[in-house]
Parts: sequence; structure tokens; C-alpha cells
Amino acid sequence: MSIELGHFSLILAFAIAAVSALGGLVLWQRGDRLAMVLRQASVLQFVLVAVAFLALVQAFVVSDFSLALAANNSHSLKPLIFKISGVWGNHEGSMVLWILILVLFGALVAAFGRRLPSDLSNLVLGTQSLLTAAFAGFTLFTSNPFERLTQPPLEGADLNPVLQDIGLAIHPPLLYAGYVGFSICFSFAIAALVSGRIDQAWARWVRPWTMLSWIFLTLGIAMGSYWAYYELGWGGWWFWDPVENASFMPWLAGTALLHSALVMEKRNALKIWTVFLSIITFSLSLLGTFLVRSGILTSVHTFASDPTRGLVILSMLAILIGGAFLLFALRSSSLRQGGLFAPISREGALILNNLFLATAVGAVLVGTLYPLVLDALTGTTISVGAPFFNLTFGALMAPLLLVLPFGPLLPWKRADLVAAGQRLIGMAALAIFLTILISALGGVSISLAPLGLLLGFWVTFGALAEVIERARIGRIPARESLRRLIGLPRSIWSTALGHLGLGLTVLGVVSVSAWETEIVTTLNPGESTELSGYIIAFDSFDQVAGPNYVADTGRFTVTAPGGRTAQLDAERRTYVASGMPTTEAAIQSYGLSQLYLQLGEPLDDTHVIRVWHKPYILLIWLGALVMAGAGVLSLTDRRLRVGAPQPSRKAVPKAAE
Amino acid sequence: MAFCRIGPIESHALPRVAIKRLGPMIFWLIAIAVTAVACAALFYAAAGREVNAAIPKSGETNNHFKLLLAGIDADVASGKLGPDQALAARAELAREVLRSKGDQRAEAKPLSQGTVLVGLAAVAALSLGLYAVLGHPDMPAQPLAERTDVAAQNLDLDAAIAQIETRLAADPGDVRGWTVVAPAYVQLGRFDDAAEAYRRVIALSGPTAELQTDLAEALLLGAGETGSDEALQLLQSAVASDPAHVRSRLYLAAEYMRLGRYAEAVPLWSAVLDTANGDEAWLPAARQGLAVAQNDGVDTTTEDQQQMISGMVTGLSDRLATEGGTVEEWTQLVRAYIVLDDLDNAQAAYDDAVAAYPAAFDRGELDTLALGAGLVLNGGSQ
Repeated sequence: MSIELGHFSLILAFAIAAVSALGGLVLWQRGDRLAMVLRQASVLQFVLVAVAFLALVQAFVVSDFSLALAANNSHSLKPLIFKISGVWGNHEGSMVLWILILVLFGALVAAFGRRLPSDLSNLVLGTQSLLTAAFAGFTLFTSNPFERLTQPPLEGADLNPVLQDIGLAIHPPLLYAGYVGFSICFSFAIAALVSGRIDQAWARWVRPWTMLSWIFLTLGIAMGSYWAYYELGWGGWWFWDPVENASFMPWLAGTALLHSALVMEKRNALKIWTVFLSIITFSLSLLGTFLVRSGILTSVHTFASDPTRGLVILSMLAILIGGAFLLFALRSSSLRQGGLFAPISREGALILNNLFLATAVGAVLVGTLYPLVLDALTGTTISVGAPFFNLTFGALMAPLLLVLPFGPLLPWKRADLVAAGQRLIGMAALAIFLTILISALGGVSISLAPLGLLLGFWVTFGALAEVIERARIGRIPARESLRRLIGLPRSIWSTALGHLGLGLTVLGVVSVSAWETEIVTTLNPGESTELSGYIIAFDSFDQVAGPNYVADTGRFTVTAPGGRTAQLDAERRTYVASGMPTTEAAIQSYGLSQLYLQLGEPLDDTHVIRVWHKPYILLIWLGALVMAGAGVLSLTDRRLRVGAPQPSRKAVPKAAE
Repeated sequence: MAFCRIGPIESHALPRVAIKRLGPMIFWLIAIAVTAVACAALFYAAAGREVNAAIPKSGETNNHFKLLLAGIDADVASGKLGPDQALAARAELAREVLRSKGDQRAEAKPLSQGTVLVGLAAVAALSLGLYAVLGHPDMPAQPLAERTDVAAQNLDLDAAIAQIETRLAADPGDVRGWTVVAPAYVQLGRFDDAAEAYRRVIALSGPTAELQTDLAEALLLGAGETGSDEALQLLQSAVASDPAHVRSRLYLAAEYMRLGRYAEAVPLWSAVLDTANGDEAWLPAARQGLAVAQNDGVDTTTEDQQQMISGMVTGLSDRLATEGGTVEEWTQLVRAYIVLDDLDNAQAAYDDAVAAYPAAFDRGELDTLALGAGLVLNGGSQ
């Protein structure tokens, strides 16, 4: 009966959301009483969807194959964790997870939003309920996870083996939390447009939600990238796959939003642009979640989809996104414009950042959608691959990275570029010196690698410039510097760390792209090969049985240049239920570098072995972690929410005013 | 296996019917109770503010700012904000108050009790009505551990056969028993027992083309490469007795082919091809069989294939050399050279492919193919 109770809970949540949406958006001026009802309704929606989700989890755990979803995606022999994560390893279940996170965010706004003016609260929760009703309705009517089977099969069809990994337990929930979190910014933007009221308080409200979503999205993308890296067996960490792009676009737009909300909060400028970005970011999130389900894309992420469902999805996206932009077109002129500033200023730098990020979003969007549109209109199939993205995206990011360290050093309103430049000279010199040193030692031929390295070092060190200067490191006793470092406002630290993280990621990307080595060879047990100074010996070959798969296992001993040895097991698994093979690569870290070993296809009397050496590849994800950490630090900054502006800097000449 | 399902299911059918009858009622009671609780929570949320309404409606905005101000004071007291920051925050708040005064609009009349009740009625009607359409209140949960039919299904095939064998030992004249057990023996690889069982069936119910073919199949499977004279005779008899029987003709034709009696195979292949609808699984095999039989056992298709491949190779290698191509086309070319046993050209094509696609990531299938055929990777991948 728990399955049916879960079904009913989801339906009840849908009904409450539908009525709340109507009430909130039509009667939003009706004050406190409505606000109380909507808050209660938001909490109820969360509780009910949580019950529905738990009912699904329970059915998967006890292998109740009278639930069609479990019969199609589970298997009684699967380890418990994969039974649970299997709930969202498919279209219907992942919709429920998506809705669960949506209503969780709604409930959080209800819980933390007691101080919101009631009309704003009504509009925000009304919009949030509208989204819940739309997606819960879509789920119930076109992809109901609670479909039952009167003749349950004896055994489930099992989950796609690639998804039977701890990555599935972590990656989608993080990513969805990121996507869905931006719905709050979207709802606030709609509220601002409908009520015509937008001020710094609005920005202070939007920024923590943007930050929170951005942190989740950063972690979700990084996790997805690492998962693809170790699971797909090719050692690639980014494929410019349409779905990766679909998650990357909201990240870029969210990053822009984060920065423009900053300008709005501090200087009450860029209001309309911030509202526009809020809508764009969530629209791209919707695109990210649903483009894959509409059946017009195929990739690792595509769930089986039928054409009617795709049509419903596309029309829903068109109505939601189109409606939001229509509202924007009609109402944005009623919003009051804010403060003025000179082109060379912190505001100017942030606008430059937004400009580059928005163009990058455009480039990725074109590269992702153009082949689809062309295919739909003319039937011509073209593939826009990594070269296009690397070229356009790289060309857009290079100037952004070049000017990035200047931004935090510029004061608001009006700034002196030369003064900021002087403060960065030391860091620039350090970056150039290191690049030349590494290029000389590494014996680089003429390529883009040194330029990339230079940018990476420049951003990394430039991020630290302000922290070092403020702490007066080297100019005053170390103890005093340390005291100053600890006393620095968290906003300075989070800016520095966020930019530092980006620099680290850039360094990792450049290093792997330029200095990765690989070898493909055939080996028999007892033989060995060599790559970049690492000696790889193939010790033995075995066949082993796992809980729901059988595997060919190769055991290897890797001897590092320093003489350190490590035992590695690389596997090729065949899953019993589906007969699908997967590759479990063996990965060994050496500091920040990794050796990546894949047991290839079996040949008659030997084995294909692929080995990659990936120098400093861990920097890519370490950088993402540092960025997310910077976001968390910024969230803990109390001043973010009460709106205490930074006291004007004594260091800046007053003449600039 | 049809014989696995007999027995236990029926004996459990009774209690389940009882649950089926009572289940939906209990479920609806719970669903209505949940809806009632949710609606009550919403109703009291609407009422709650009225009871505590200490601040008049017009002061609502001020109330909001007072709360914010109190928050700042609390932060100063707890040391989260410095005095100058607090001052700036208060000034900022004052500016906001001024701005919002300008925005002040006429207060709409507050939400009435009636509106709330209409909303709640809509929630209840929508949820219960929708569930009545979409839900299955009568379906019980069926976790794997509690399913009785599983026990029946999991009944060991060997155990089931043993059971039937006991019955057959007591009553060897049970045609149905032998009919059930014979294909099971085939499935388990016990071909001699299967042949014996089919012999029994034929003895008891008389020979038909189908049964003779079944017996011949069991004999052939048991004999392996060597074949069986008895099977041959059985098949000939089946073909003779039933002019429309396809399976016996296929087997007999295959046997003639194996024995080199091509002239006798030709009419059989032609006969089955005449009966074909065009979607049979054996169609390609029969067509090839006929072609080979007509040509006295020489397979001409392989020669044609060789010619076709060399034609394709010339075209493809020219195009790839001048215009380049996808990694799949390179793989095709290398495969073609390997099939033609032209390893020098295969190696050259492989080298060119590696030069065109230096990343091993792109060349998964190609590398496997090439290394498997003994080619060497000496391209620029290192």
C-alpha cells in the first residue's frame, strides 16, 4: 500500500501546488494571511513529495516489481546503495527527485523568508508553486513513476551498468540542487517584474540563493566530470557533450548572475540586467534538465523517451521561458534604473565579466543547438565537436582571465587602472617567471601551452594579490600579518579563493591538454611496458564474479620513476541482467598527477592495454572544490544578508570621488 | 516452463482475494484522512495570523523594517557586525524605508475566509479525483521476499523433472508426461534421455512428421559432428509423410549438404523457399544453401566478396588519402586490407589513421582491430 500512498501524496502535492500557484499569482496583494497559507502550503508540498519519494525508495529496496519503475530499473541482486540510487537513474524517478528539490527550496524560502514583505513572499511562493504544479503535472500525466504491473516479473531489468556507481548517488542530486536552486532567483525575478519593486533588499535576497545554487552546480559538474573520467574508461574529463554543455551554460550564466547581483547589492545598479540574468539562468537550467528528455538529443544522459513526451516538454519550456521573457519585455521598463559609475571601476570590471560570460553562454548554446536546428530544418547532420568549442570558448575565456585579477583591486564608482596594475606587477612577474621556467624545463615546442600556463598562473597569483597586500605580508612582522589575514572580511577571502580556484582549474586543464601522454599496446601476463618513466607490469589475469556481474580482472604493478610501486586492478565487467559491458579503469594518483590504466578488449591470445599519464589533472577538480569552498565562505558572511556595505576604503584616494 | 507453474499459486489465491476486497477501502480512508490533515493545516495557517494580529495591516511594511533593524541590533550585540558596519547598515535600511514609502500602494482587501475554503475544497477535489483516475487503490505491494509465486517459479527444473520421472516410472503410459519432459531434457543437454522420451511418445501416440523431426533433432544433437543414420531415416520419413512440413526439410537438406549429397539437397531447399513468407529466420541460410548446392558445394559468394572488397578499398583509400575522413572510415579501410590479407597496406593505412587521429580516445575499435591482426602502433601517439 505504501506505493499507492506515495502516488496519492504526489497527487496531493500537485493539487496544493496548483491551487497555491493560482492563489499566489492572482491574489498576491492580499497581504499577510495569504502569505501564511502559502508558506504552510510550501512546507506541505515538501513533506508530501518527500513521502512519495520515500515510497519509491522503499519499493526499490524491497524489490517490489509490481512497481513498473522498479521492474524496469532495478534488480534484486543489486547492492543496497545502487537500489536506492537506481530510483533516480531513470526518467520518471529523476523527475521526482527534481520536484523534491524544487519543493525543498520552496520550503526553505518559506522557512527563512519570514522577514520578506508579504507581497514579495506571495509572488515568490506562487511562482515556485507554479513550477511545482507544472513539473508534477508533467510527471503524473506523461511519465508517472507510480505505474503498476498486474503481472510483476520475477526479476528486474537492472539499471544501466554505467550508472551502477557511487557517482549516481552523488552527481544528479548535486546537479539538480544547483539547477533547481536557480528557480528561486527566477521566482524572485518574476516577483520583481510583477510587483514593479526591485531594490538592494531584493538583491540581498537573491544573492545567497544564487550562491547556494552555484555551489551545488559547481560541485555537481565537477563530480559529473570526475565520474565520466573514471567510469567511461577513456580518461576524458570533458567531452563537450550536449548534456555537459547544458549543465555548463547555467553555470556560466549563474556565475555572471553572482557578479551582477553583487553590483546591484552594493551599488543598486544593473537591476534590469540582473533580473534578465535570473530568468536566463533558470531557463538554461530547465534546458539542461529537459533537453535530454525530449528525445532530440542522444548521449550517455538520454533516458528512453517517446515523441509525445518530448512535445509536452518542449511546449512546457516554451510557455514557461517565453512567458517569463514576455513579462520581462512588458514590465522591465517600469523598474527604476540605479546608480551611475565610470567605465573604469569595479562595476565596469564586473560588467566586462558579464559580457564575456554571456557571450560564452551564447557560443556554447549555438554550438549545442545549431546542429539540432539544422537537422530539424534541412535534414543535414553535422557534428559540432570539441575543436569548435575549444576555439570559441578558449578565445572568449583568454581575455576574461587576462583582466580577471584587476577586478577585485578596482574600487567602486571610479578607479585608476594604472594604480591597480602597479599592485599586480609582482604577481605578473612571478607568473611569467614560472611559465618560462616550466617551458624551458619541459622543452615545449611552439604551441598555446605556455600562453595557457601564463594565464593560469596569472589568475592564481593575481587572486592572492589583494589578500597579500592587505595583510602586508613581508612588510610587517609575520605575526602581525597573520593577525591581519585572519581579520580580513570574508568577502575578500571568498573572492580571492573563488578566483584562485578558477586559476587552479585552468592550470590543470592546460597541463593535461599539453603534456598528457598515452600508450596503446598488447600485453600478456608477465610482460611489461613503459610510459613517461612509469613501468607497467601486467602480473596476472583472472575472471571474478561480482554480485550482479562477472568481470575480467587484470592485475598490474606500476613502478613510478622514484621507485614507488603500486598494485592496480583494472576490470571489464559484463552485467548479467543486461549483458552490457563496462570498463573499470585502474587509476593511481601521484601527487596531483594520475596514471590511468584501462584493460581493453580481449584478443585471441593477448590483451589490449591502454595507459595514460595525466600530469596535474587533479588540479581541475581541486580548483572546482576551492571555488565551491569560496562560495560557502561567502554564504557564512553575515553582512551579505543585512546589507552592511563595506566602509569606504582609506587606501583609495578621495580625489577619485 | 508450463509445468513449473502448476500447483502452489491456486492454493494462495484465496487470502489474496480477501485483501483485495478490503484494501481499497482502507486506502481511501487513509487518503481522505491525509487530505483532511493537509487542508486543516492550511486552514489554521490562514486563521493563525488573525488571532495574533497585533500589528495593524497598514503597518506591515514598517513591521518588516523593524524586524530587519532588530536583526542588525542583534548582530551588533553578538559581535557579528562592527559599530561602523552597523551604522552603514542602518543608514542603508533608512534609505530603503524612504524608497518603499514612495512605492506604497493602496492595500487590497485581505483574504477572506470564503476564498480560503474554496481553495481547500479545490485541493481536496483535485487530489482525490485525480487519484481515482490515475491510481490503483486495489493493488497490494508485492515485495520480492513475500511473493508466493516466486517460490513456485523458482522450483528447480531438475526437481520438477525428477517429480515427473517418478510419476512416469509408475505409469509409463502417460503420454502427457513424456511430452512435457522431452523438451526439458533437450534444454538440459540430456539428449539421450530426450531421444528416449520422444521414442516413447511416438510409440504411444503414433508417428507424426513433427515428432519424428523432434526425435531426429535430439539424435543429431547427441551425435554431434558424426551425424546419425537413424536421424536421416526419420527425417526422410517425415518429409515423405508430410509434404508441407518445413522443419524436417531444413534438417534433411542440411544433412545432405553435410554428406555432400548436393543434388538431393537442391529440391529440398527449393521446396522450403517456395513456402517462405519472407520473414523467416532461416531464410538467408536456405538461400545460401541452395546457391552452394546448385554449385556442387563451392561457395561462390566468398569470391564475389573478395572482388567487392578490393573495389571498395581502392575507392576508399584514394578518398581518405586526398580528403581525409572519419575514424570509422579509416577502420573500415584497415579492416578491408586485413580481410584481403594485405598486411603491408593495412599497416600503412593504420599509420595514416593514427597520424590523422593521434588521440587513442578516438581510435578504440581501430586499435583493437589493428593490434589483433598483428599490426604495430608506431604513429605519433607518444
